[in-house]
Amino acid sequence: MAHFAKISEQNKVLTVVTLNDKDMLDTDGNPSEAVGQAYLEQHNNWPAHLWIQCSYNTKRGVHRLGGTPLRGNYPGIGWDWDPTDQIFWTSEKPYPSWVKDVQKGSWVSPIGDSPDLTEEQKNQNAVFTHWWGYVWNETNQTWDLTNSEA
Amino acid sequence: MRKKVLSEQALYYGEIEMPKGFEINPLNLTNNFFKSLYHKRKYTWSKDFDKLNSYIKDFIKLNYKLNLVNKDYWTNIFVPNETTELQTNVDPVDLRNSPDFTLLYGINTVNCKIKILYDDNRRKGRDWTIELKDNNFVMFPSTNMYSIINKQKESLNFVQTITYEYI
Repeated sequence: MAHFAKISEQNKVLTVVTLNDKDMLDTDGNPSEAVGQAYLEQHNNWPAHLWIQCSYNTKRGVHRLGGTPLRGNYPGIGWDWDPTDQIFWTSEKPYPSWVKDVQKGSWVSPIGDSPDLTEEQKNQNAVFTHWWGYVWNETNQTWDLTNSEA
Repeated sequence: MRKKVLSEQALYYGEIEMPKGFEINPLNLTNNFFKSLYHKRKYTWSKDFDKLNSYIKDFIKLNYKLNLVNKDYWTNIFVPNETTELQTNVDPVDLRNSPDFTLLYGINTVNCKIKILYDDNRRKGRDWTIELKDNNFVMFPSTNMYSIINKQKESLNFVQTITYEYI
């Protein structure tokens, strides 16, 4: 089963549809995005170039089943298609200072990901005595450690 | 002091901006209408109808987060200077099965206006009139009464109606 995003001419994702694998095989019997696009153009009345294949199991540039990631993320309605970098982006920037990380297919802070929690903090989270976590502080441009006790 | 809006009467309108080469062919829509007259049965789904219907559902969902589901559809033909009676598409004794929204789409329309009646709390009987241009639509709550006013001089006006409920 393949997935294709239907996008507008402004590169907004309108919907995502599934397509039977047999409907996107080329003459040699290999899966082909172009064949799938042509099929969708004919049956769904929307131009072939505005159907973009995506992967249900790809998130933040990683295929969760160990396969080859495709186009950054599995998109939702309203997401943006970036034809230059070939990535589906969430439409909303989490914070004004965050930037796109093309490798990860996600928005990241200007100073990177939050630090890892210590083993002690992880253990306390595991037994629900604390709830340690990092929250982005847009004003100070820092990751702030928070602890809301369970 | 705070404010909460309990309900709204929202009207959606605009042009159907299909990608180049995929425009809705008005002749096919009018052809559906005449075929249904000839065969004395409701016309079936067609490619051009699907383009219109899908466009509306996709972009209303994208822009206004409304999931529309089709209820019914039909086409009307209007001679010059024909004005319809005020009408509504809800059945007052069967609101459960009535549509939420009525969509009107202009097929080669000329000088066609839609007059929509609404109440503004105790200010009853207000109306809003919008021109229904060719390849444009207006969608409004099905509970609103409306009238289609045709002031064209020579041609026939065709208006495609689609009703929806939202989930």
